[in-house]
Amino acid sequence: MVSRRILFFIGIALICCRCAFASWLDISNVNIRQEPTELAGPKTIIEYDMNEPNITPENPAYVFVRYSQGAGKSWRLVPMDSLRGNGFDIVEKPGHKQIIWWGTTQTSFADLDQVKIRVRAIPMARIPAGEFVMKSLPGAGRDESKEMEFDTDLPLFYMAKYETTIAMYVDYLNEMSKDEAGWNRRMSNSDRCGIAYDDNHTYQVQPGRGSYPITYISWYDAVNFLQWCGLRLPTEAEWEKALRGGLFLDGDQAKKKPNPMPERRFPWGDASPDAEGVFRCNFDGEDDGFAYTAPVGSFQKFNSPYDICDLAGNVGEWTLDWYSTSYHVGLDGFRLVRGGSWMAVPAACDAITGATQLPLKESSIMGFRGVRGSRQSH
Amino acid sequence: MKSLNRREFMKGAAGAAAALTVLPRSRTYGANDKVIVGVMGLGGRGTFLAEKFAERPDAEIAYLCDPNTRRFARVREAVEEAQNRRPKMVQDFRKILDDREVDVLINATPDHWHGLGTIMACQAGKDVYVEKPMAHNVWEGRKMVEAARKYKRVVQVGMQSRSAPYVKKAKDYIQSGKMGDIYIVRVFNMMQHAKQRPSPTQPVPEGFDYELWCGPAPKMPYNPSRRWLNQFAYSCGPIAGDAVHQLDLARYLIDDIPYPKTVAHAGGVLSLTDGRDAPDTQLATFEYGPLTLMMEAALWTPYMKKTPGNIRESDRFPNWPFSSTKVEVLGTKGFMYFGRHGGGWEAYDAQGELVRSEYGRQADKEHQDNFIDCIRARKKPTSDVEIGHLTVLLCHMANISYRVGNQRLEFDPKTETFTNCKEANQYLKRTYREPWVVPENV
Repeated sequence: MVSRRILFFIGIALICCRCAFASWLDISNVNIRQEPTELAGPKTIIEYDMNEPNITPENPAYVFVRYSQGAGKSWRLVPMDSLRGNGFDIVEKPGHKQIIWWGTTQTSFADLDQVKIRVRAIPMARIPAGEFVMKSLPGAGRDESKEMEFDTDLPLFYMAKYETTIAMYVDYLNEMSKDEAGWNRRMSNSDRCGIAYDDNHTYQVQPGRGSYPITYISWYDAVNFLQWCGLRLPTEAEWEKALRGGLFLDGDQAKKKPNPMPERRFPWGDASPDAEGVFRCNFDGEDDGFAYTAPVGSFQKFNSPYDICDLAGNVGEWTLDWYSTSYHVGLDGFRLVRGGSWMAVPAACDAITGATQLPLKESSIMGFRGVRGSRQSH
Repeated sequence: MKSLNRREFMKGAAGAAAALTVLPRSRTYGANDKVIVGVMGLGGRGTFLAEKFAERPDAEIAYLCDPNTRRFARVREAVEEAQNRRPKMVQDFRKILDDREVDVLINATPDHWHGLGTIMACQAGKDVYVEKPMAHNVWEGRKMVEAARKYKRVVQVGMQSRSAPYVKKAKDYIQSGKMGDIYIVRVFNMMQHAKQRPSPTQPVPEGFDYELWCGPAPKMPYNPSRRWLNQFAYSCGPIAGDAVHQLDLARYLIDDIPYPKTVAHAGGVLSLTDGRDAPDTQLATFEYGPLTLMMEAALWTPYMKKTPGNIRESDRFPNWPFSSTKVEVLGTKGFMYFGRHGGGWEAYDAQGELVRSEYGRQADKEHQDNFIDCIRARKKPTSDVEIGHLTVLLCHMANISYRVGNQRLEFDPKTETFTNCKEANQYLKRTYREPWVVPENV
């Protein structure tokens, strides 16, 4: 007789509005049980409903599972290679989902009632394999002398549709940070970020700030957050392809959908962000409606060819790539930030502008987003 | 820049510097008065200096300036985080010079703008913090000194190592005579550069005033793969741009000995053959009479590294044999390893026994403190413009020896010209592109 034991699930409040994404995608009716198997030990079955109706192969969800054995004191990411089913990693359709976790015995669960499991989902965009035009501007941030050739034929990868939000980051902090790691006092700036840290050692999203991009985040903290999710930062090449699109928007295998503007300057085309009185992204000044950062997805009419929001403006985005010259040998290598920001001139919100920053830098004009896919040598 | 009535500004002027006739101000600073600063050049060093001065309680950034507007956001954000005042963002540095509220111009431009930018600032009554190498050429360096003196300006050169206490202790030790007579000082500067990657000429990007960026230098077709640092038109060369620190330390340690009698250079573009004209390998010998200063520098030595960051701010010494920025002082009784970047120093006796050592720290803050103090007291700063000139002179002499076929050149300190090679003298001064001309009479 199969013993069906209901563990418990901690739901995460979600708000998905038409113009601004706040936190994780809406997941409901989570049911977790464990079943023994004849030879392979128990398996844990996680079922849930993916409610987001707009999940498609082109705009899937990235679903990851985290668990705690210590009454929520310490948490771990469930390795994707120990999961089976239709409800983890890249999920391409909404509806009822099931995850089978075969690796439960490796976790030494002593008492299943003490286990907490959390399932979270991030909206993603699919960037099919294929060639694209890399036109980064040497000298405007990149080290033009470094001996790296960018690969302009990238394999399939997925990029987060939105910049990482304050609400997502607060959730991460509350799960992971017991000693203020990953948080700094500047994040309490309610104009430029918006995280409060209270006497109970918990982090709170300041009212109305959940859907704004996280800022004042170092490269290391961004990497830590993404490792917590099972994601990573994009390379410069990936970032630029996500903005501009490949030569074929359906990839080099299909080649049925040629990119009408494969050398576009901005996600929407070549028009300046403020051309003809239309504001296409959040750049310097208040004319675009935002003096500081804007809620992610505030300019969805001007998304990239893959429907990715805010690659231009709002916050610059950390990438994996390093910048190094002999002037900096012995110090920590500079990292490259792409995408312009709410403080940048319109021209600097284009596909080619980059800025260098030391990885410990915490700035109100820098945030990040995650990528799922094998990292390319470049 | 576009709206700055450049034609009106230049109307009737023989050159850019001659156009400015503003008299220097003689402001009296109260104890709580802030020094008002404009920053010209927003690359890595300009951004660093802007942030550091913005963090000071006795200074405030009023302007941030770069011909390339794409550089604005990074530095503006850092400055706004550090001070309450929102700086004005401008492409043309003359807007800074025109503002009588501004006391100081920080000049962190590429080398080709150091001279004219500093001279125009002196003429406008601003004190100046100018990055190294101080001048693009020998003649220009002398004009910078003349301008500073004529307009009674404080001009501090960004050779900050001079301000480190451990450097002073090393000098005192050498001057005490414990190392005997000093006959040889060796300066090292080994770096790891890569070849430039050729790429086609490009249109000038929107938001970049390339005409202004070129300034006194030739306006070559825009090609960002051509690094300005590697071209004599814009630079003293990548070796000079860094070795100037160690050369300055060497000069300081031997009591600021002024002019070498000769220079002899060996080397050239040996490894990084990529279209550059500034050498990647420089061995230079400067004869001062009984003392010989030697410089060994290259851009292709992966095993010799600069002092790592964890040593710069700690009680540790560099790995001397593989320290790429060390200075070696050889006396008749002793030997000294000396490290830049807070590397400290160790002195050995004639038997090779360690007899004295000092740990070090970097001295950016001390150097900036000294600058602000001297602005208030109207004193010459630690790296005064004359010191900057005499140090960068060594870089120019080595480069000129290279450019005339590695000839040994004799130098006349009175005229600051070479006496045995007419060809060499043509490199003492650049051709300035109108209207960005340094006038004979500053």
